[in-house]
Amino acid sequence: MRSIVLSVLCLVGFASTSVLAADAREPVNDRYCTTCHGTDGRGNEGVQAPRLAGMEDWYLRHQLENFRAGVRGTHPQDEEGLAMQPMAAKLSDASIDDIVGWVGSWTYVPAEPTLTGDVNAGQRLYQTCATCHGQNGEGNATFNAPALAGQNDWYLVTQLQNFMAGYRGAHPQDARGAQMRTMAKSLGNEQGIINVVAFINTLGRSK
Amino acid sequence: MSKPVTRREFLNLLGAAGGSAAALRVGVALGMLPVSTAAATPDLLDLGRANRRVVVLGGGMAGLAAAYELGKHGYDCTVLEASHRCGGRVFTVRHGDLIDEIGNRQYCDFDDEPHMYFNAGAARIPSTHRHLLHYTKELGVELEVFINENKMAWVQDDALMGGKPIRNIDYTTHTKGFMAEIMGKALSSAELDEPFTEQEAETLMGMIRAFGDLDMDDLYTGSFRAGYAKGGFLEHGVQKDIIAFRDLLKTNMGRNLLTANEGDTGPILMQPVGGMDMTIKAFEKRLEGKIRYHAMVRGVRVRNDGVDVEYEQDGVRHTINADYCFNSIPTHLMVGMEHNFPADYVRAMKYVRRGEAYKAAFQAKSRFWEDEDIYGGISWMNNPSQQIWYPTNGIHKPKGVILAAYDYGGGMFHTKMTHEERIEAHLKDGEKIHPNYRNLVEKPITIGWHRMNHMLGCSARWNRSRGGWTHDEEIMYETLQAPVNGRHYFIGDQISVHSAWQESAIMSAHWALADMDKRVRAELA
Ligand SMILES: Cc1cc2nc3c(=O)[nH]c(=O)nc-3n(C[C@H](O)[C@H](O)[C@H](O)COP(=O)(O)OP(=O)(O)OC[C@H]3O[C@@H](n4cnc5c(N)ncnc54)[C@H](O)[C@@H]3O)c2cc1C
Ligand code: HEC
Ligand code: HEC
Repeated sequence: MRSIVLSVLCLVGFASTSVLAADAREPVNDRYCTTCHGTDGRGNEGVQAPRLAGMEDWYLRHQLENFRAGVRGTHPQDEEGLAMQPMAAKLSDASIDDIVGWVGSWTYVPAEPTLTGDVNAGQRLYQTCATCHGQNGEGNATFNAPALAGQNDWYLVTQLQNFMAGYRGAHPQDARGAQMRTMAKSLGNEQGIINVVAFINTLGRSK
Repeated sequence: MSKPVTRREFLNLLGAAGGSAAALRVGVALGMLPVSTAAATPDLLDLGRANRRVVVLGGGMAGLAAAYELGKHGYDCTVLEASHRCGGRVFTVRHGDLIDEIGNRQYCDFDDEPHMYFNAGAARIPSTHRHLLHYTKELGVELEVFINENKMAWVQDDALMGGKPIRNIDYTTHTKGFMAEIMGKALSSAELDEPFTEQEAETLMGMIRAFGDLDMDDLYTGSFRAGYAKGGFLEHGVQKDIIAFRDLLKTNMGRNLLTANEGDTGPILMQPVGGMDMTIKAFEKRLEGKIRYHAMVRGVRVRNDGVDVEYEQDGVRHTINADYCFNSIPTHLMVGMEHNFPADYVRAMKYVRRGEAYKAAFQAKSRFWEDEDIYGGISWMNNPSQQIWYPTNGIHKPKGVILAAYDYGGGMFHTKMTHEERIEAHLKDGEKIHPNYRNLVEKPITIGWHRMNHMLGCSARWNRSRGGWTHDEEIMYETLQAPVNGRHYFIGDQISVHSAWQESAIMSAHWALADMDKRVRAELA
């Protein structure tokens, strides 16, 4: 099975070069991300696909590898993750390299806040988060924790819900996600999630 | 199963509903014939020496129809299409074609012959879709009749007759027979307070007898309509065994089988000879030089006196400054682009959801269905693959392309599978009808519309509850139909209340053209 999948992969890989073009076949590449993630990866609430622009290289790569390996986006209740997982399932290492570089070339456009919550309560809750994600939600590579400031708030909410419910971070190979599961549970309930995200919305982001 | 209902109780139920008398009373409403006033194309002002620049976003049926009309009246028009091809959800797959399903890209490997194609999106044109038919006529697109219902095709349900497929004609003949018997009894039952005159009752009884082919005693005892067990030409035909009503009621599929010729599929259905995209190709020919392919829109900025559109083609960014913009990009994708649309517009764009249609096809190594007296039409299965379509075209040629599955929305069952899993599922399902199926077919293609690049879905879904449209949904619909600043129009079947038909896509474009025309006339006056 594995080898069949690999040979298909090679075919797709070659397709972007002239090999298949000679066969008059429409060439393809794997830069289809913006159909869902929006212009310059600004995020698209219409398909629940989050902002990619401004994302840390290491985090982007790790998530793509997680999706590809089925470590993320395979829980039957993870509706949005299930939409993304097959988009990464057939990516080659070379494609991931290409995509990481491509995403890095996009200009970041601030995500527009869509929800309201108790910012003060959120700030108190956020103190735990700051240890890893930074006081300004800028992220910290040492802890493998991505930036949260400037991400689409509706997406942050889904992720915290998913961590809490075990739709994300429960896979035995997802050590980083497992860490986050404990943290999400500390938010207690839906209101806690909304409040902490409302606070993250105030952190802003320059890049 | 809940408590059994006796025949007597059933008749009482019928009587209690009082349906027949009520129907008699409202019958007068059906006096008028619909008047065919609708013009097939909008009557646009010829620009003459005036100049107007229009940019059309998306080269599907709506976008191309708009561009074609504008071109006829002197507008300077450009179509931006993100994909390598025009047509959008009108997609005919042939030898060598790329199926751009994200995560499951395929090249079609069908034999390279004119009749070896698959209409992966739109496939049927009802004779009442006059705007579309107008274009096929004007553009010289040859049509042929599409066989939709075929009584010789199969019906299969694991719960019915031990899973053995039966002919549609057996199912429908017997079911109608038993239904007629009950109707006949209800009519002659003394419990009913005789809502009909004797003459009316006689006429009605005659129809019921004919509907079900009842015998002299108004009982259903089988019918030659289902065909003969043997004989029928040189010897007298022998009637086939009847299937008991109780057995027929083991499947729910009668709902589909008895309504195959109702609603949208009621009129005669047609298809262009050679593939549904023949209309698209004809438009493309007339719009030569005006269409940019691989041109993905990035942003739309509406000004007071026009619209600026930014797009990317082969890695290079371009901007078009136009007077008007017709936008057929699916609204849920437009949400993720740069724009300055008003908030109520954006709310409506985000609200619309999309149906999850799915189709798959096989190349058949031989036209095995023709050996079973099946020419065109649909076999119905009570399993996720749902249908097998036999091609109307290419009769008696060595091979053909059959539809192996059609889920017309409402589930991601197959879409969520890998390509290989999908194929295996269709082989397993189809085998229940055609025993040697897996050896008779090859070269599969599968199309999950929810993942097709630049479309991500099929029909726009405006209403979320089964009860119909809410007031708020009506408002959002009207908001999105109305232009922004009188300059930017959303078009496409998404801006209709009858999504998932090419006719709706064209009519939405015509609506927008007519609205723009009023403004242009006012400007030039
Ligand atoms: C499975 C299926 C069965 C169907 N059956 C029938 C049938 O039997 N009969 C019938 O009449 N109709 C049928 N339909 C419906 C019919 O196909 C559609 O109603 C019609 O084609 C819609 O046309 P449109 O122009 O509104 O949208 P689309 O065809 O979706 O066109 C939108 C276009 O916009 C382009 N686009 C998207 N993003 C961008 C961007 N960023 N920049 C530039 N371009 C972009 C897309 O590539 C696409 O070409 C069926 C559809 C499906 C999927
Ligand atoms: C069919 C639409 C679709 C396509 C195409 C798509 N994505 Fe996604 N992507 C999503 C959705 C939906 C999510 C949200 C998943 C969730 O909520 O868990 C997502 C999530 C992600 C994430 C996780 C973000 C985070 O902060 O953890 C990354 C990274 C990502 N996508 C990258 C990509 C890349 C790179 C591509 C192109 C190769 C791509 N996506 C193509 C729909 C898509
Ligand atoms: C111990 C360190 C740690 C702490 C404390 C922590 N996180 Fe995380 N968080 C992570 C890591 C690591 C990830 C990345 C998981 C992965 O790679 O899948 C993450 C991911 C996330 C994500 C998903 C981001 C995305 O783009 O998908 C969100 C949202 C998040 N954290 C919010 C929070 C909040 C809110 C808190 C406080 C309640 C918090 N985190 C506390 C380590 C931490």
